[in-house]
Amino acid sequence: MAIRARRYADAKAQASTNTELLWWVFMRVSGVVMVFLVLGHILMNFVLIDVNTINYQYVAGRLSNTTWKIYDWLILVLAMLHGMNGLRYVMDDWIRDPSRRFVTKAVVYSLAVLVTVVGSFSLLNHDFSKDLSQNTPTQGTMTKP
Amino acid sequence: MYRGREGQWAFFLHRISGLALLLWLFIHTLNIASAMWGPAVSNRLMAFFHVPIFQIGLLLVTAAAMYHSFNGLRIILMDFTGWGVRYQRQLWYGVLGLCVLLAIPGLILTVPRILHAASHGGGQ
Repeated sequence: MAIRARRYADAKAQASTNTELLWWVFMRVSGVVMVFLVLGHILMNFVLIDVNTINYQYVAGRLSNTTWKIYDWLILVLAMLHGMNGLRYVMDDWIRDPSRRFVTKAVVYSLAVLVTVVGSFSLLNHDFSKDLSQNTPTQGTMTKP
Repeated sequence: MYRGREGQWAFFLHRISGLALLLWLFIHTLNIASAMWGPAVSNRLMAFFHVPIFQIGLLLVTAAAMYHSFNGLRIILMDFTGWGVRYQRQLWYGVLGLCVLLAIPGLILTVPRILHAASHGGGQ
């Protein structure tokens, strides 16, 4: 059961398990971190530049930069955990039938894992600099096969 | 929920904006991750999302991010300070005010671009 308390002391008293209290704390800590990460991300990629100019070249350039790889992956993981836990509260509230709730949660959590894995691969396991180097002058100095 | 009408609205908007942001996280992650399949796939998908209707959606999701951020900070103040609950209503108007304050320069910057893209058929 989700915690309804408005204070840490109340939350501690209301928490059914230690895990539930941990989630309550996580929501607040990850929330504060994401205020800066996400609003900064929106500022950099939507407000300060024209979103219509974003194309493959722009994405590949950003995803070749270690700073943005870590920055974006941090958002992905924190937002996914924060969002899925929020959705868990919503599902506990809105889906009354236990068997339907179980099935819904199973589907939703599986999708979340899938999206996190795909997103993590694109951020951490794919070499975008390879594609970018085709347009850099250094390519010309290399011997062609 | 908390006493009073504003508290109910604060809670409802927090929940709806949270759900919208989660949906956005899924779509946005898959859209950006499509770059793994190269420019042909990724540029096509991004051109699809550059249609004006999605850019209005982008404005709404930005509004959701601002509201969820600032109202989240309001919740934290209510949780961890002695005065937060007492001033929850004033804090909520502060949240809305801050959203409007930041939305003004944001809209001035982004809306002309969206209109420009719309008049040029959208996309790249």
